[in-house]
Amino acid sequence: MTLKKILKSDIKELLRQSAKEWEVYAPVTAEEGDTLFTRLPKEKGKLEKALQGINLKDEWVVISPKDAFFPQLEDMFHFDKEKIIDTPSPSKKLIFGVRPCDAKGILFSDEFFKKNYEDKYYLSRAKDKLMIAVGCLTPPRPEACFCTSAKTGPFLESGFDLQLVDAGGAYLVEIGSDKGSEFVNAHAKLFKNSEKDEEDKVKKIKSKAAEAVNLKVDFEKALEIMKGKNDFTENYERIGERCIYCGGCLYVCPTCTCFNVLDDKKGDKGVRRRNWDGCVFRGYTREASGHNPRDKKSLRTTRRYEHKLKYDYSATGMSGCIACGRCLTSCPVKIGMSKFIEEITTGKRTM
Amino acid sequence: MDKKLTTCIYCGCGCGLYLVEDGGLVVGAYPSVKHPVSKGCLCVKGWNAYEFVNSMERLTHPLIKENGKFRKAAWDEAIKLIAKKFKAITKESGSNAVAFLSSAKTTNEENYLMMKLARAVFKTNNVDHCARLCHASTVVGLAATFGSGAMTNSINEFEEADCFLITGSDTTAQHPLIGSRIINSVLERSAKLLIADPRKIELSKYAAVHMQQKNGTDVAWVNGMMHVIIKEGLEDKAYIALRTEGFEALKELVREYTPEYVEKITTIPKEKLIEAARTYATTKKAMIVYSMGITQHTTGVDNVKSLANLAMLTGHVGFPSTGVNPLRGQNNVQGACDLGALANVYSGYQKVTDPTARKKFEAAWNVEGLPGEVGLTVTEIISALGNGKVRGLYIMGENPMISDPDQNHVRECLEKAEFLVVQDVFLTDTAAYADVVLPAASFAEKNGTFTNTERRCERIRKIIPPPGEAKADWKILCEVAKACGYKGMNYNDTSEIMEEIRKVTPIYGGMSYKRLDPHGLSWPCPSLEHPGTPYLHKDKFSKGKGSFLPRPFIEPKENPDDEFNFILSTGRIYWHWHTRTMTGRTSTLEREAPAPYVELHPEDAGKMGIRNGEKVKVTSRRGHVELAARVTGKVAVKSCFIPFHYREAAANVLTINAIDPIAKIPEYKVCAVKVEKI
Amino acid sequence: MKNDYLPHKAKITSIQKESFDTNTYKVVFDDKKIKDTFDYKQGQFAEISVLGVGEAPISITSSPTRKGFLEFSIRNTGKVTRAIHDLKVNDPLFVRGPYGNSFPYDELKGKNLYFIAGGIGLPPLRSLINMVMDNRKEFGHVKILYGAKTPDEVCFKKELEEWKNIPNTEVWLTVDKPCDGWGCSVGVVTELWKETNVHPENAVAILCGPPIMIKFVIARLAESGFKDIDIVMTLERYMKCGIGKCGHCNIGEKFVCIDGPVFTYNQVKAFPTKEHAF
Repeated sequence: MTLKKILKSDIKELLRQSAKEWEVYAPVTAEEGDTLFTRLPKEKGKLEKALQGINLKDEWVVISPKDAFFPQLEDMFHFDKEKIIDTPSPSKKLIFGVRPCDAKGILFSDEFFKKNYEDKYYLSRAKDKLMIAVGCLTPPRPEACFCTSAKTGPFLESGFDLQLVDAGGAYLVEIGSDKGSEFVNAHAKLFKNSEKDEEDKVKKIKSKAAEAVNLKVDFEKALEIMKGKNDFTENYERIGERCIYCGGCLYVCPTCTCFNVLDDKKGDKGVRRRNWDGCVFRGYTREASGHNPRDKKSLRTTRRYEHKLKYDYSATGMSGCIACGRCLTSCPVKIGMSKFIEEITTGKRTM
Repeated sequence: MDKKLTTCIYCGCGCGLYLVEDGGLVVGAYPSVKHPVSKGCLCVKGWNAYEFVNSMERLTHPLIKENGKFRKAAWDEAIKLIAKKFKAITKESGSNAVAFLSSAKTTNEENYLMMKLARAVFKTNNVDHCARLCHASTVVGLAATFGSGAMTNSINEFEEADCFLITGSDTTAQHPLIGSRIINSVLERSAKLLIADPRKIELSKYAAVHMQQKNGTDVAWVNGMMHVIIKEGLEDKAYIALRTEGFEALKELVREYTPEYVEKITTIPKEKLIEAARTYATTKKAMIVYSMGITQHTTGVDNVKSLANLAMLTGHVGFPSTGVNPLRGQNNVQGACDLGALANVYSGYQKVTDPTARKKFEAAWNVEGLPGEVGLTVTEIISALGNGKVRGLYIMGENPMISDPDQNHVRECLEKAEFLVVQDVFLTDTAAYADVVLPAASFAEKNGTFTNTERRCERIRKIIPPPGEAKADWKILCEVAKACGYKGMNYNDTSEIMEEIRKVTPIYGGMSYKRLDPHGLSWPCPSLEHPGTPYLHKDKFSKGKGSFLPRPFIEPKENPDDEFNFILSTGRIYWHWHTRTMTGRTSTLEREAPAPYVELHPEDAGKMGIRNGEKVKVTSRRGHVELAARVTGKVAVKSCFIPFHYREAAANVLTINAIDPIAKIPEYKVCAVKVEKI
Repeated sequence: MKNDYLPHKAKITSIQKESFDTNTYKVVFDDKKIKDTFDYKQGQFAEISVLGVGEAPISITSSPTRKGFLEFSIRNTGKVTRAIHDLKVNDPLFVRGPYGNSFPYDELKGKNLYFIAGGIGLPPLRSLINMVMDNRKEFGHVKILYGAKTPDEVCFKKELEEWKNIPNTEVWLTVDKPCDGWGCSVGVVTELWKETNVHPENAVAILCGPPIMIKFVIARLAESGFKDIDIVMTLERYMKCGIGKCGHCNIGEKFVCIDGPVFTYNQVKAFPTKEHAF
């Protein structure tokens, strides 16, 4: 792998240049304190203001950049009387500063939205994307990140176009694809060649970063257990009872793709929209007749864990859990995938 | 694309959430990680708070009713008409012939302006809002005992408490992010949970003791707990001596409330009462948490005073993770009270009957002759429409057709209104009776502040422009004032209103917008240097010494009899908000709870041959509704519960307009009904 | 990129009342190209929209052997179907599809067929039934066993009469609550076992109905000696997209919308057991 280098002080310039060609999504710290992935504005003044807030520190960003492709709410099409007007296809996107686990989530969703029927809304946004990942030196959600257990971080081995390795004053840049290479060439002035010893340095940084991830679970064992015959009824019932059905774990999950569809209209004009939905909700499976195959809380809980750890894995070879820990950090009653894995692999009660 | 921190529009938790704007659409609501209440979490309503904003049913133009039908009107025309009518009415029939309903959904600034409009421009104290229907008893009861009618402690203190006494609050449904803190405390820190509630609520499964009292007998069990505590010598004698007054009278009154006597009144087994009393009294960090189940009674003020007595008796006020904690329902019901959208007080609870306060506001507003008598309250205003004493009514963001007791009575009164203005985001059931409808901006479309249940005044921030010609409520109120010839309501933005509020409202004195960034401050915050007050009554009560105000048990107004043999209680559910104007337009929420229902105990359902899901008719002396039966052990035998959200089977057709004599709050929690199979 | 979510405008050309709450809507696409290329198989469904109200998955009840139009037999039960019931002839409907797998057809040739349906479960079978009737000689003996709550609820009354008159074809009806003059059986659909032989030899049973009915019918078929693989059913699930994306109709690894709605009983048995009533 060729290793390049970019000075931290050149990041803003890189983004400034990129914003001309790309729709750039990057972590920006808002005036009110939280860091969120945001599309950088094209207009110069606004862009400069946004660039001031660019934040590549290891911070808890509440929603992964999945919303660049699959927003919480989006228009599917408009209609006027009986005429249907499709929404325009968006331009190509650069996801800058995506974390390794989140990048895995995006790659997972790419496959899902491609499979069988193609989902035009997602794919038209995702197909020409460029992902510039940044590895985590320390876990952004220290109590919850367990990427080393699932081998989804703190650095990517593949799947990225470029990956930034924080080496103090500069980022060492790994090139993971032709697209990534083209991007480096297009901004050749900013990307410098690395020194000889810097490949070693990358290795050291990565191994230190991996050591910094404290939370460890036996992920592989969990996948094995879920694949085989098992009975976790007690766990599912207990978790289902504890859950307050906010949907947060699904909304924040980088691989959750479920949506609801809703119509709205006024007079002749109207719109069909879709928004995030999830399997923990009772109404999610309730049929018009009133029959509901997952009426019970425990069955909905079962669905959630089996989907991520069993069905996704058996269908794609990839677990639906990418070990970001967000389900735990956004759960008001502290339910989380890592805790569930601990329960089924050790028999300990964690929730 | 823009992402801005704002405050959730639903309950009093006041979670910080980022609204996400893209292409003019509000496409998301994400929890703030750094906000002290949300901490990266939200409840399902918060997560979905973006959706209704985009509804194409939003009001986008002023409407004027002509020959029984609405037509689009220009702003200028609508405002002029309002000014003309209101001026004519007051000229003919006096200032008190008009009234104003403010709103706990709107901002502090807007509530302040609404009461300023009523008082400064129209010289009436007929201004009130729905706090009257939820926590009027709290404001009165806690002010009398402690000196301050608000939640004593703060939300994060729930994470440290070792005991909770929860009564009349279905906390996980109504204040989910407080409910979750209670669940975590019980499950992870072994905090003890005591519940007194006629219904089995979600939290009941975590309770060490669940006392299922008969509806409307709260004073009795609270007195009973105090009886046990005093009998066993568990009261905090030093605290009582040092910080309170009137203990002897309390001791005298609760003497007769023996566990046996209390069991007779409340049906609570005496062992449970004793255990609850001991646990509460002997745990240092013990919080009393209550809500509408305590306040919405003809004895609402008595109930609140009794809880305050209990907390003082055990020395549980004035320390972290203790106190008496009324959970305020609406996102800004605390603020609407603080800012004086009440018939008896100006902002900061300064009494209209106090000449010094009047003088102060006359000077600040540059007017003369502010009225000194207390105005009409919400339910009184509606009734006064019926008997012609109030001829013109201006309603901002409230929907009394669905939310007020005895709907048929409300309808008759609204029909009789000579001139009704309704200002809202949707054409509500109430707006249908209006002569002029004004389209208001939603919380996503304006700036301002909300004050949450823990007295935290925090910012809301505009992320998109209002739809069509809709305008922020504060702008509309200013235009009305101007059209009426008043020159004292001109502001360029909401921070200027807050500057005025600061000057006249001591508890908000230090709350400049600059200081409210990013996560707000809790009042009292009297000066720009003051850090705010997470918990009240530290070292001494706001009023000096805390007053024990013992109250005897009084029966509810309407108990069941042979014909109307069920007790009906009404309330909210997790998925919906109030009259469903917003949550009914939120797909996930509406899907979870699309239809009205009545909860019936399996024993009663069995006797009547009613199956789960079957339609039943529920009748009170005031009307009837038809809705699906939900057969569940959540309610006690011979009682039933109906969520009040649904216009399709409005619970408030049934409820009684009997009110607490002091707080004027209606008894939503007890009335007599009969249930029939259809 | 093709957008599979966009529905095509069609027009209702006739509305046939089938029962007190079910109508059959005959619709024809406006666009000739779509009309000509909309090839579907027996047992597939389409997503039908009333713009501004919503979209719902509805079985195509016409037979692929009858060209140029689509038929949907729709019960008035939810928000979208209620809106469809408010429509009149010549009103537009928006349709996309066809989706899902289909009933086996070639595999059924030469077999004896038992169509067993309850209530609104008959419409999803109608497409296949009519296809069989149109090629009647290629199949063995056919029995249609149909149960409804009341005579009012019985769908396709006219067609049931027609099918009855086709040689080697029997129609057996039963209702829970009969009315005066009801000439057929009374009771749930399994009561019909008393009236007529249900024999597994060279036979396939094709089922559709409410879960509780399916449960009892499967038990009865097993008793009668039917193998799991010879029991075929079409499942209903709440769904939004119809194309395996929205997630609502997930069962285990399967999506009812793309892997189904037609499953054999041995496939159904492999589903997570607690999620279905049978």
